[in-house]
Amino acid sequence: MVVVECDRVSKKYNTGLFKKRICAVQNLSFQVKEGTIYGLIGPNGAGKSSTIRMLLGLSRPTKGEVRFRGNVLNAVDLRAEIGYLPENPYLYDHLNLNELLAFSGEAARMEPAVYRLRGRELMARLDLLDAQKRPLRTFSKGMLQRAGICFALLHDPSIIVFDEPMSGLDPVGRKMVFDLVMELKQQGKTILFCSHILNDVERLCDRIGLIHKGQMVREFGREDFLQSASDAVFLLTDRLDESSQRALEPLIIQSRPEGEGTLLAVSVDRYLDVNACLQQKGIAVRGCRSEWVSLEDLFVHHIREHAPCAV
Amino acid sequence: MRKVLPASILVVMLGLYVALSGAVWKQQERARLEVPAGYVIPSKFSRVLALGQQGLLSDFLFLKTITFVGGRIGSGMPLSEDDWRFVEHSLDVVTDLDPYFKDPYVLTEGLLAWDAGLIAEANQLLAKGMAYRTDDWQLPFFIGFNQFYFLKDFTAATESLMVAARLPGSPSYLKTLAARIGYYGDKSKTALLFLQELVAEADDPLMRARLQKRLQVLEGSVVMEEALDRFVEDQGRNPEKLVELIETGYLEKFPVEPYGGTWIFNKEGRVFSTSRFVDGFVPQEKD
Amino acid sequence: MRSVVALAIITFKEGIRNRALFGIGLMALFLLGLNVSVAGFFMRDIGKVTVDMNLSALNFAGLLLVFFVAINLMAKDIDRKTIHLVLSKPISRSQYVWGKYGGILLFLSVSLAFLFLFSCLTIALLLALYPDYFGAFSWGQFVVAATFVLVKLAVLTAIVLFFSTITTSSLVTLIFSLGSYIAGVTIEEVVFYLKSDWATQERVVSESLRTVIDVLSYLLPNFTVFDFSLEAAHGLPIAFERIVLALGYAGGYSAILLLLAGFIFARREFN
Repeated sequence: MVVVECDRVSKKYNTGLFKKRICAVQNLSFQVKEGTIYGLIGPNGAGKSSTIRMLLGLSRPTKGEVRFRGNVLNAVDLRAEIGYLPENPYLYDHLNLNELLAFSGEAARMEPAVYRLRGRELMARLDLLDAQKRPLRTFSKGMLQRAGICFALLHDPSIIVFDEPMSGLDPVGRKMVFDLVMELKQQGKTILFCSHILNDVERLCDRIGLIHKGQMVREFGREDFLQSASDAVFLLTDRLDESSQRALEPLIIQSRPEGEGTLLAVSVDRYLDVNACLQQKGIAVRGCRSEWVSLEDLFVHHIREHAPCAV
Repeated sequence: MRKVLPASILVVMLGLYVALSGAVWKQQERARLEVPAGYVIPSKFSRVLALGQQGLLSDFLFLKTITFVGGRIGSGMPLSEDDWRFVEHSLDVVTDLDPYFKDPYVLTEGLLAWDAGLIAEANQLLAKGMAYRTDDWQLPFFIGFNQFYFLKDFTAATESLMVAARLPGSPSYLKTLAARIGYYGDKSKTALLFLQELVAEADDPLMRARLQKRLQVLEGSVVMEEALDRFVEDQGRNPEKLVELIETGYLEKFPVEPYGGTWIFNKEGRVFSTSRFVDGFVPQEKD
Repeated sequence: MRSVVALAIITFKEGIRNRALFGIGLMALFLLGLNVSVAGFFMRDIGKVTVDMNLSALNFAGLLLVFFVAINLMAKDIDRKTIHLVLSKPISRSQYVWGKYGGILLFLSVSLAFLFLFSCLTIALLLALYPDYFGAFSWGQFVVAATFVLVKLAVLTAIVLFFSTITTSSLVTLIFSLGSYIAGVTIEEVVFYLKSDWATQERVVSESLRTVIDVLSYLLPNFTVFDFSLEAAHGLPIAFERIVLALGYAGGYSAILLLLAGFIFARREFN
């Protein structure tokens, strides 16, 4: 079932009184299926945050529609199902985390006992229990980020929208959030997030949309990275000539040129055969890669290729 | 549906508000008349409270003073002595806050001297203005007028007028006027010349309207005095009553007295009115 | 309703813990202390001077609270995008406006109540020191005048909220609200001056200007309506009808502004 759907959405901004209108998002369509994680990636200013703000009804699309389970978002009730973490959340300076969470619970019409319990769970989960009575002004960037996540998740939403959840987090914090997202997925939540940290996106997302200059450049599925073939190793060798290529072909899964060499995907159980063949041909192995094609490569490749959109 | 309720509440509130607002403004109009003149914070304090905006505060206080007097006069309520004291204090504070501000001095002359009869206070304020507005010939002119017309101190009046005449922009006839006071000091004609000058200089519509009324009454006095002079010259005696002037053909009819009083004269051949040239002051008729 | 209350509570807490509050409180207390120390310099009518100074201190502190703290409570939400977080909860835009208004009002009431308490203490002290010079003083009128300081601030807060819904920066809101305040305090003098017979006799007021003034007198709040300081200072009677009218006027004006703010806010986009 499609939970979140962007249907040919465009957004233009008036930047100033006499300035040109800027086209932030153009004819963007994508769907997020129930229980999956969808990642939006793209360079700075690609329109990721604009898209998310339209999803939440903070701004309205100039054209097109955003739908939640087939409904257009306007009823307040629908928002009870959404948890949102903005980019660099600014929380109230003089409140403490307990008060902030109490507000979140009250606003979502939860019972005080329920939200207190759930708040404690989330704070424990994100290592904020010690800080719960400190004013938020004294929080570090990473702590604010985690506090924002608590705020977003308190009412147990079924749809979670994160804008850059990993920014400002230290490695421990990142791991915490990473595990939390995985757990949420296991609970069957639908998650949409955008991030610059491609490594996380790659590991977490079921589908990835690459946005550039407000347009969807390409959508990737997990299969595009071949990471699911976990029993494969990727060898980087000297550039193969045609005869060696032909000799190796039956042994390997696939090959492609990479820099000055060739990258071979080798099934783990055929590794020794391939190795023997390489030895026999006298082809040097330069190293190995952890993945067939990294999201980073794809990202850079597509961004370079993509012509700027006309506004 | 979700927008209909707030929209209809808004419409109801708007109706309610318009009604209330009208009532409140009426209420304020009434309250303003009932309230006594109040009290002006001394300039020692208001200078600090103005937070550097002394000029603006003086403008506001001045406006408030005008509206206060205007409201009283407009509604036909005579100003009490306390009210006049308030006006005097206000003008004092206004000129303390901004001693270069011209309007309050004009108002001082027009209201304090003419209506309130606070001649000494008016002259004191005007003298304060002279210390700052050293190039303004009107301030010594006002003082001179007060000394001449109200205080009958012709020597001092001549001196003040000579001071005014020496200042730039002063009309050339000031010297003549000063000389004239020496000979015919106590004649309405002299006052009329003074007043014509005052009217010509008054840009303020508020002052102008009042001065013009006075000009009218003084013109009346001049006509009467001239007739009286001719009568005395021909007959060698004062008339018993002013009506005699009409009966003997020296005067066609009495000039209009815009303040509603009746004309009277004294032995020196000056003609006045029972109204003392002030609105609502007609004691003889009441008796 | 629950979310409105919840929002009002956090707004109140956010405001009451603002450090600017200490400064404003100290300043007001300083003014009250000054009152006690200078009261002896006046020869008579110490009661009048005391009431004047107390009400001015409350008024001045209240204005500072609105212009420095209350504006930020609303505008900082928008400036710093905290509002994105709040609106991602099941809270409608107009609920947001009412919640913020409630919170700011609570904040102003509590702060002013605190200052009012101190102000009562100084008056009680001066009453004990100079009992013969408080001729016409009455606590009732003082309480009414002090309450109307709060009423005035409530109207001003509605103006602030209204302007924050149509502008994008807190500075513009500050300028507009300050302008409305100054206009609101002076409008009565101007209107009555222009209406006065002197002015009309001379036709300085053209018909079209008269219409403009009439419209303005409805558009702008007349803050002098809420000024009972003269009555409190001189112990003059305050007509009950006048209090009711002034309260209704304040309520009507604020409610209209807040409803409009709700409508405008619902259409507003947050980028």
